[in-house]
Order: sequence, then structure tokens, then C-alpha cells
Amino acid sequence: MKRALAYEWTRIRTLRSTWWLTGLAIFLGIGISTLFAWAIHHDFTNGGVTSEDLDQLGPVVVTQLAASGEIPSVICFVLAILGIFAWGHEYRHGMIRASLTALNSRTQLWVAKFLVVGAWVAVVAAVTLIGSGVVASFFLRDYVDVFSGDTWQIIGRQVLYGVVLTWLAMAFTSITRSQAFALVSIFLWPFLIETLINVFFRLVPGLRDHTELLRFRPFDAGGRLVDAFNDPTGTFGDPLSAWGGLVVFGGTAVVGMVASYLLFTRRDA
Amino acid sequence: MATISARGLAKSYSGKPAVRDLSFDVQPGSVTGFLGPNGSGKSTTMRLMLGLDRGAGSTVFDGRPFAELKDPMRHVGALLEAKPFHPTRKARNHLRMLAAANGISARRVDEVLATVGLHDVARSKPKGFSLGMGQRLGLAAALLGDPHTLILDEPANGLDPQGIQWMRVFLQGLAAEGRSVFVSSHLLSEMALMADHLVVIGKGSLIATGPIDEFVSSSRQNAVVVRTPEASELAPLLQAAGGTVTVLAPGSLSVAGLDIEAIGDLAHSHRLRLHELSPKVATLEEAFLERTAGSEEFQALAPAPSATVEGGPR
Repeated sequence: MKRALAYEWTRIRTLRSTWWLTGLAIFLGIGISTLFAWAIHHDFTNGGVTSEDLDQLGPVVVTQLAASGEIPSVICFVLAILGIFAWGHEYRHGMIRASLTALNSRTQLWVAKFLVVGAWVAVVAAVTLIGSGVVASFFLRDYVDVFSGDTWQIIGRQVLYGVVLTWLAMAFTSITRSQAFALVSIFLWPFLIETLINVFFRLVPGLRDHTELLRFRPFDAGGRLVDAFNDPTGTFGDPLSAWGGLVVFGGTAVVGMVASYLLFTRRDA
Repeated sequence: MATISARGLAKSYSGKPAVRDLSFDVQPGSVTGFLGPNGSGKSTTMRLMLGLDRGAGSTVFDGRPFAELKDPMRHVGALLEAKPFHPTRKARNHLRMLAAANGISARRVDEVLATVGLHDVARSKPKGFSLGMGQRLGLAAALLGDPHTLILDEPANGLDPQGIQWMRVFLQGLAAEGRSVFVSSHLLSEMALMADHLVVIGKGSLIATGPIDEFVSSSRQNAVVVRTPEASELAPLLQAAGGTVTVLAPGSLSVAGLDIEAIGDLAHSHRLRLHELSPKVATLEEAFLERTAGSEEFQALAPAPSATVEGGPR
């Protein structure tokens, strides 16, 4: 297993795309937080500040607004592309046969990919979120302690969300063996397909009475994991709690990963 | 040094057999050529041997299947794709990555790059590599672990004549060190110069295996050319003696099934004059085409006569 991890560690470090995606995630993350913190600082300075304005401000600003529950995490979606490339390059460039003649255990290669890419995403996400917090603290130091309250917990949840999202993207790429299809799907699924499901449930008479089921849409559930304003009634209530969101979103990833593993170990390379 | 032993290899795609109950051995100290028409299952067989494709049968390298080899690149080096690398990962990094999977040092990476002549482009991105340079990088990867067995699928593809000659001498040198070299190629003239043994398949089934000399000498294309002003008298005598006679031209015969001495003695005993008596040795290509006739997966039609073309729609 050590050799498989060494292989994957060398693989991820020697790709140019790893570095520009990592740089893009850090740049976007800290950049958006900087702009947001600066704008709030300007607003507070000119218009005054209320306690309502400061509610969960730290988590919202360090997560590039993802903790608002309104939008998904920008940096996690950028970093998930690393996961897509981890499997996509194997098939797009015919690397998989070279990989499997260097590492003859498919299980070890599969595990190494998920572990190394997951660890890389976790570290980059954590660095970005903390860096965002540090920069935001500079602008908002007169109004709020950015790292107080729920901020650290939200950072942890956001990192977990990033890893789960990346693993889901990796599983999907491994199953489809198509980098292009996976890249499109990872954005279409949350932004179009789940929205379409929402519209169907609200317009189709037979479904209209079951809108409570919408909370089980995987990406909607994933959003609850990092939602700082979430006010759940129970683990699987409506809305789902953070734990409930993790179970649904993470469960989707686990199902995908199991399918990915079974297919990878059984199919022709 | 390892003997490769493949037994009962079989693989089907959507119910259509690609490889059927294929068994053969590859001995150490030799270059074994793997021949077959396009689509005959050569690449599939190589992938089956390495466990890359799922199918029936087994292949062992000195008694152990590929999946059970610790640090597999130290045992078996494989080249299965023309350009098996990421286009923007530098050549040296590509090899460092593979080396990391087998505990091979960076110094060995530089050694193999120099061996295959890519030292000057070691830190270049292979997206600009020619097919031949790509093959050299693939061969460098196969050599990384200094393996006792090499499995190479069309390694000469894209190489220039100097590269092909280098590859031949290089692989023969590796075999002379006692390694097993199993190499497929469609360049029959090159294979004739390089290989000691052959495994010949057609439509996924074994056609022949053994020393290349035996394969060529068993061809019906081996014959004796006889030139005589008394061909009409000699031909029936040769046929009566068991020869197969083909008239090449007036006064010129090709005789199979009888050796030169027998033909000369027969002519002499009947006081028939001979102007030429020479052996015609079959080439590997002739022997291969004869043995694989009807085994092509894709059969092309002969070009249509020009008159037909001229009469066709414009």
C-alpha cells in the first residue's frame, strides 16, 4: 500500500493541472472573501451595524458565502475537478494500463487515489478557508471576531463537504470512464438537475404534496452540511440537520464509490 | 530468468471470441515474436497475460501470475500503448511516478532515459514527442525495473530505420543476457531478423509455435527452381517421384517436395540437360501469409479494374 500511495503522491504532484487548480481554488477563495469582507466593512462604516448583521458573519465570510445555505462552495467545486482528473487522465490518455502494470493490485491503486486526492483537497480547502478568515479579520476586526463561534466548526464541515464532493466526482468519473462527461455532470447535477426536480415537485400535481422529499436531493442535502443558518427539527427532519445532510450526501458518495470499486476491479482496464 | 507460460487464454467481446484457448510458452534467452493478422487478438492476448483484461486462462512468470508479483516492474516490463503517458507530465516525471510504485531509484530513471536516447528531452513534456519518441519513452518505462521479462506490443511502430535497427540489436542483447522477450510486430522482415521463436495466431487461435527456422522451412513456398530445355520430359518424371511441379515459364519449373540432389540425380539418370538447379527458400512473409490464409479479421477486396472505374458514376 505504501508503494501505491507513493505512486499516487508522485502522480498528483507532477501534473500541471494540480497546481493551477490548487492555485485557482486559493485565489478564488481568498479573493471572494476579501471582496466580501471589504464590501461589508464599507457598508458597516457608512450605514452602521446591527447584531443581526453580525449573525454567523464569520462562517459566511470564510466559506465564500456557502455557509449562508444559498449557494454551493466555489472552492470545493474547483477542487473536485482534481478528483475528476485523477481518474479521467487514466482513461483519456491511456495511462490506466501503464498504471496497472506498475501497480498490479487494483484495490491498492483505487484506495490510494481516493486517499491521496482526498487528503490534498482537505489540506487545500482548509488552507483556503483559514486564509480567507485571516484576510476577512483584517477588514472586519472592528466589528466581529471572524474565528469565533461556529467558524471553526463550519470550516471543518466545509472541508468534509469538499472531500465528499471530490470522492463523489471521482466515483462518477471512474464509473463512466469519461472525463468530459464527469466534468459536465458534476456541475449539471446540482445546478440543473436538482433544480429541475424542484420545479417538477412544485408543478406536477401528483408530486406537489410530497415536496418534503426534496430535502433528500443529494446536493441539497450536502448544502445542509455547511449551512450555518440551518434550523433543523431533527436529524432527518425538514430541513435536514448537518448530520442528516452528511448521511444523505455522503451516502450518495459511498454508493458511487462502491459501484466504482466493483466496476474497477471487474472490468477490463 | 523466467519462462512465460500461458495456458487456455480466452476472451470474448459481446459474445464474439477474440482469443480462443490459446496456450504457448516463451523461453528465457530468446526473442519470441508474436505474429498474427490485424484483429487476430495479439494485443488482447498480451493484456490477458498481464491481468489487464478479464478473461479465461492463466499466465505465469516463473510459476507466478502477474498479480502476485511484488514490485511487478522488477519482474515484467510491458509496453502496450503507443503513447501511454500524460502529455504535459515531463518524461522524467512520468518515469519517476512509475518508479515510485516499485521502489526504484531516480538514478535508474536517468539511466533508462539515457539508454533509450531520451536524455536530452528528459525534462520536456511529451505532448510534442513523435510516435517514435513516445515508443522510446514507453520502452524506458518497461526497462525501469531491469526486468527478466519484457512484453512489448508493436514497439517498432513509428521508429525510423535507425530506430528499428537499434531496437532489434537492443532486444537481442537483452535476450542474450538470458531475459525472455515477447514482442509483437507486423514488420515481418524485421521479425525475421530479430526473433528466435514465433507464436503465430489467427482469429484468436494458435496457428504455430516454435523456432522461426522450423516455421519457415515448413512452408510449401520452399522449392527448387529448375531451368531445362527439356521441361516437358522432366516434369512428369518429377511428379512421378513425388514432387509438386509448377511451371514458372517455358523451360522453367518450380519443384516442391524434392530436394536438389534428388532432382539432379533424376535428370541425370534420364540424360536430361539442366541449365539451372537452385533452391528457392521461403521468406517469413511467405510462410506467414500461407499459414494465416483465411485468418484475417478484415479482408480487403482487390482493386477494381480501371474499365469498371471509368464506367462508374461521376
